[in-house]
Amino acid sequence: MTELQVGGEFDVRNLLAGGERAARWVKVLDQSRCIGCHACTTACKSENLVPVGVTRTYVKAVEVGTFPQVRRNFQVTRCNQCEDAPCVAACPTGAMFRRPDGIVDFDKRVCIGCKACMAACPYDAIFINPADHSAEKCNFCSHRIDAGLEPACVVVCPVEAILVGDLNDPSSRVAAVVNRDSVTVRRPEKETRPKVFYRDATHATLDPLAARRPDGGLFMWSEQGEVPHRVTSGAPDGWNSSAAALLAYDVPHRAPWDWRVSLYTWTKGISAGAYLAAAILALAGAIGWGDSLWLTWAPLVALGMLAATGAILIADLEHPLRFPLIFLRPQWRSWLVRGAFVIGGYGTVLAVHLLGGSLGGSEGLAKWLAVAGIPLAAATAAYTAYLFAQAKARDLWQSPLLPPHMLVQALLLGAAVLLPFGHGTHDLQWILGGAAFAHVLLVLGEITLTHPTAHAHLAVRELTRGRYAAFFWGGLVLAAVAIAAPLIGVAAVGPALLAVLLHEHAYVQSGQAVPLA
Amino acid sequence: MNIRQLNERVAAAKRETLARGETFYPGPSRVHLASFPPKERWDEWVAVEPDGGERSYALVPTTCFNCESACGLLAYVDRETLQVRKFEGNPEHPGSRGRNCAKGPATLNQVTDPDRILYPLRRVGGRGEGRWERVSWDEALDDIAGRIRRALEEKRPNDVMYHVGRPGEDGFTERVLAAWGVDGHNSHTNICSSGGRAGYHWWMGLDRPSPDHANADVILLVSAHLESGHYFNPHAQRIVEARERGAKLIVVDTRLSNTATHADHWLAPVPGSEAAMLLAIASHLIRTGRHDREFVRRWWNWQEYLACEHPDRPQTFEEFERLLGELYSEYTFEYAERESGVSAEVLREVAETVAGARTRLATHVWRSASAGNLGGWQVARALFLLNALLGAVAVEGGTYPNAWNKFVPRPPVLPGHPEQWNELTWPEEYPLAMNEMSFLLPQLLKDGRGTIDVYFTRVYNPVWTNPDGFSWIETLTDSSLVGLHVALTPTWNETAYLADYVLPMGLGSERHDIHSYEQYDGQWVGFRQPVLRAARERLGEIVSDTREVNPGEVWEENEFWIDLTWRIDPDGALGIRGFFESRERPGEKMTVDEYYGWIFEHSVPGLPEAAAAEGLTPLGYMRRYGAFEVAKGVGPLHERPVPEAELEDAAVGEHGRVYTRAPKPDAPNVVPLPTPEPDEEGRRPVGVEVDGEILRGWPTPSGRLEFYSRTLAEWGWPEAAVPVYLRSHVHPDELGADRMTLISTFRLPVQIHTRSANAKWLDEIAHTNPLWLHPQDAERLGGIRTGDLVRVETEIGYFVVKAWVTEGIRPGVVACSHHMGRWKPEGQTGGQRQAMATVSLEREGSEWLLRRKAGVAPFESSDPDTGRIWWSDVGVHQNLTFPVHPDPVSGMHCWHQAVRVRRAEPGDAYGDISVDTAASREVYERWLERTRSARDTSPDGTRRPYWLLRPLKPPKDVYRLPAVRE
Repeated sequence: MTELQVGGEFDVRNLLAGGERAARWVKVLDQSRCIGCHACTTACKSENLVPVGVTRTYVKAVEVGTFPQVRRNFQVTRCNQCEDAPCVAACPTGAMFRRPDGIVDFDKRVCIGCKACMAACPYDAIFINPADHSAEKCNFCSHRIDAGLEPACVVVCPVEAILVGDLNDPSSRVAAVVNRDSVTVRRPEKETRPKVFYRDATHATLDPLAARRPDGGLFMWSEQGEVPHRVTSGAPDGWNSSAAALLAYDVPHRAPWDWRVSLYTWTKGISAGAYLAAAILALAGAIGWGDSLWLTWAPLVALGMLAATGAILIADLEHPLRFPLIFLRPQWRSWLVRGAFVIGGYGTVLAVHLLGGSLGGSEGLAKWLAVAGIPLAAATAAYTAYLFAQAKARDLWQSPLLPPHMLVQALLLGAAVLLPFGHGTHDLQWILGGAAFAHVLLVLGEITLTHPTAHAHLAVRELTRGRYAAFFWGGLVLAAVAIAAPLIGVAAVGPALLAVLLHEHAYVQSGQAVPLA
Repeated sequence: MNIRQLNERVAAAKRETLARGETFYPGPSRVHLASFPPKERWDEWVAVEPDGGERSYALVPTTCFNCESACGLLAYVDRETLQVRKFEGNPEHPGSRGRNCAKGPATLNQVTDPDRILYPLRRVGGRGEGRWERVSWDEALDDIAGRIRRALEEKRPNDVMYHVGRPGEDGFTERVLAAWGVDGHNSHTNICSSGGRAGYHWWMGLDRPSPDHANADVILLVSAHLESGHYFNPHAQRIVEARERGAKLIVVDTRLSNTATHADHWLAPVPGSEAAMLLAIASHLIRTGRHDREFVRRWWNWQEYLACEHPDRPQTFEEFERLLGELYSEYTFEYAERESGVSAEVLREVAETVAGARTRLATHVWRSASAGNLGGWQVARALFLLNALLGAVAVEGGTYPNAWNKFVPRPPVLPGHPEQWNELTWPEEYPLAMNEMSFLLPQLLKDGRGTIDVYFTRVYNPVWTNPDGFSWIETLTDSSLVGLHVALTPTWNETAYLADYVLPMGLGSERHDIHSYEQYDGQWVGFRQPVLRAARERLGEIVSDTREVNPGEVWEENEFWIDLTWRIDPDGALGIRGFFESRERPGEKMTVDEYYGWIFEHSVPGLPEAAAAEGLTPLGYMRRYGAFEVAKGVGPLHERPVPEAELEDAAVGEHGRVYTRAPKPDAPNVVPLPTPEPDEEGRRPVGVEVDGEILRGWPTPSGRLEFYSRTLAEWGWPEAAVPVYLRSHVHPDELGADRMTLISTFRLPVQIHTRSANAKWLDEIAHTNPLWLHPQDAERLGGIRTGDLVRVETEIGYFVVKAWVTEGIRPGVVACSHHMGRWKPEGQTGGQRQAMATVSLEREGSEWLLRRKAGVAPFESSDPDTGRIWWSDVGVHQNLTFPVHPDPVSGMHCWHQAVRVRRAEPGDAYGDISVDTAASREVYERWLERTRSARDTSPDGTRRPYWLLRPLKPPKDVYRLPAVRE
């Protein structure tokens, strides 16, 4: 018979007295005890049937110091069960949700696979399960907790380095540790209020950029991994990290949003910009409200590109057929939902414009629709800035200039795409040149200003000198060419369209190129 | 659901468990969550799955079969599909206490591994050609049994050899060999722990330490026991508990291990200098009078030392203390610093910490420096010297001998031991070897010292695990040296490729075994069982053969050996069959139920009562709970008085050794013990007189702790008869300017030799073994960066590997983990596709070249995960390039290599391995010159001191050297 030691007895009355004392589940990861054995990793895989290539929890290792004063520091790395969980806010369908007892859980049946939660999570703790294509992460083994069992990692740990408990119960071991010991959380500056507390963790592991990324695609006994869309942890070579901290073990990480999201910002920009540019021409009197550019061609281009946008967005979903859930169970804090309704509204305006205005010959309808159409087009252009900003993990995207920049890009694209129609050419050339000029100024401002955080700084480094530098500089040069639109006319169209496409790809991808875990 | 309902639901589980009078297993969090379902519900536990669905399980305990720790597992067998859903820990296991390392849960991967061997296979074509045909068990068994029978009938019993990797069980197979009358036991121990064992054996007569970490104030590890080793998880639990209490941890390891990370003092010495440091600490204890005088006086064999080595001096304890001080006076901290590179200041601090422990000093070395160095066995001896000085021996918080914390229950019938000596395992050059000279087998066969007719490798992969693998390939492919090679293995391995039969054996959850290991001051017996069999039996089925429930035709060894024995001796004419004959049903085979049923009924004190209290048979109890704690708090057995009944016609011999004519009482615990010699009148040693009392003492010739080993002195090693520092073969003076020491033995927490390659979750975490290189060395060697290819040249060849530049290693030393570098030759159909590179093997005379053709890649199989394999590298097989380095005393292979490291040459490719086996033969011959053969040193014309432990110890007259016997 095993010796059983019972510590502080849990009293359920603490929970239920008056109903106001709710359990608040927290975990303690005690790095002073962790021996880096990875038992939690495999126990979790076993319990939760997690496939190869992805993990809900793993043990990061960082070597600090110089011989013989060296230490290998461990960090059990996983979902932080945030009180203010960015993934919950970003999820369009409520698939990521916070239970009343604080556990951030997920419902795979309604996950559409948009990866917004992954883009939002400042801890890179969420992944798409390759077997069922839905997002998942550590959920405290909520199915076990509900059955009165400790999570699998807690039970397996040879050294009792993982504890679960109720912070509202003063007799619990977690409360004793959290309240009395030296604990910390990962990235508190993200204001997520994590409920996973680290005892005796070091900056070298907590800060994803504190340790140097090893050369040669290696860790101490594994490969860094040649996975698609890879983001390797650690600070890249030459980055201002502590030379004496070396990332010794990590798992392969992937950026959530690939070229499809880059491309979607472009098609959507064209769609919004074509309508807006035509509307500006009409408002300014450069073309009449009856001009075929306004009445037919601009909205046709806009609707076509909007349809392409929708197609790309759906193609980017892991569960494309669940796309309607965005409308059927909208989670209103999600900018993906808000954006979907904006796009839907904009699409409706465009359809009515074309059916009533162009086909039905009603100039007045088209004209007065612009009262709704212009703000909806502008919102279509700009909402992506809020969608990106909701990706709380991505510091590069937290820019107050992003909404106007998105508008500028839309105008640039819209002007460029309308120019070949030969209506209002002179004014379109100036719109194009002006938008290109504004775009170049905004981009230069972006890369020359001091960045508020190390993550933003590193993202800009990836943008200008890293993996996406060719896209970025190519885009910038082409945009500079497009400034000359008033002089070169239609010759600016190609460079302008390509400029934004390249820039958006560089911007979207380098925003995700910063390691978070 | 609102918060109230949610909280209520969670809280209800404990309340209902307690209300029903069931067991609530509190977890580490000490909240109202249990760590395991109540044991009363293990027959039918309805579990909520991650997807919210419910499944009904039978919870069946078994034992992990990955490392030696033998931690308890609890299999969740789905009552509908009758498949294992997962393995958790077993809360009823006193050693592992419900917890596991990464390898425990990963047992599931091994069970479902799509590359495992499911049917008996027979070679087609030449050995190693890679063509196999499926055969029935009957065909295979009849063929093998026929050959063994012929060997036995023709009085060639030693033509049968069983070569075991990690036994994972206590005594079953040794008993099979004893029944057959063959001295054919061969082990892996001399490539593993003989060095450590020898040091302990010379001190205590028992060859393993059992440190009481949980109660220690200071823990001194010459190893990485927080992440590996015997006994990783059970010891790590207790070490961390002690640290939480404030115990200090001192770790000696040249490489930064996870254990070193947690150390209060991490000492990273020049490899081979460990004994010098430990002796400096000992010297400090003696010099400052911090040793436990009473303990030393009562329990050391100082009188024998004085009598033998200083007969002219006064034979008093005070004189001994003076001599002791003198003996170690040269081991100053400054001397140790010169040898080890660890500063004298740090050593002084550590010595003070050790001194402060008093009797609460738990120490442990198992492989590490003891396995790396020539004379490494003295590291264990020097380490235990600290315990012996402080009296931290077999007391709370100190270090116990393993045998006191181990319980091997007596089986129904114990056959006698073989009546001949196997020269291939116990050659006369190594009379003091702790275990079989297993890793010399190819060289001994090449010497013409014998041949093998039937050779079993059992979960053992010498081609890969041992040094000098190409010599193994040369001998295993030579059918004039090895007649029939039978590989008993669950998975493909480099050695099985060279077998004639490959017979699939069950994994940890598919076989029966019993075992007991020294993991704290207590004794327990663990039971491994085929969980699907136990689950089906709970559901009312009768399973009489484990093959009925295992995948494919995978069998288990117990039933296999019983069946094979019956086929060797079908009519009982050889007198063998009877050892495996049912007692209940004479004329029929003994079943595993009967075998273990008898043992649990008759040989495990307390178990029948505990079982009866639950209305179970003893076997039923073990099938339900998987382990039983026989004793707790064994304490200092050496201090126990010998009962009067055992003192019939007792006589006190030299230095207080007490002998008796009373026969040895039958004990249920048959843990192997040494056999100190009787006195001249044939009385057996029974105790030792200490201060006028007759106490049990130690199973050594003197009955005391042998600071001085008369055996060593008399058998040719007088200079090493007391703990001294022996210079390693990789001592800086031996290395020369351009060589570095390669530490090739370090373990990773998630892998275990070649056993765990069939676990995808483990391979995913660790799959390569770059060469650890200090930045200073990297710079000196031309600016090598992590990932660059380097060539590592040994005495017999080289391998090409990637560099890992790290501060976690002493400058001037390189290290490469030995888990990695699995391979399968091109053309072999079977293999571990997630962990083996495909290679070409070329041979020109004695020159071999192995080149990597392909790494691993995703593949389609019954497991979708194999399509998700994201790594391609599996490391480099360094052991192929190591020659044999047998220690002339312990017989341990001294693993450390003196190597030249340089940037790879143009034309070198990752994973290239080049070896000249003629050169390895020369190294073997050179190391043979270090030996002091029994023929030259034996004081009594025997091959080996009779008292030493030895598996299948033959009768005493067999010990006589052949020429002397005639």
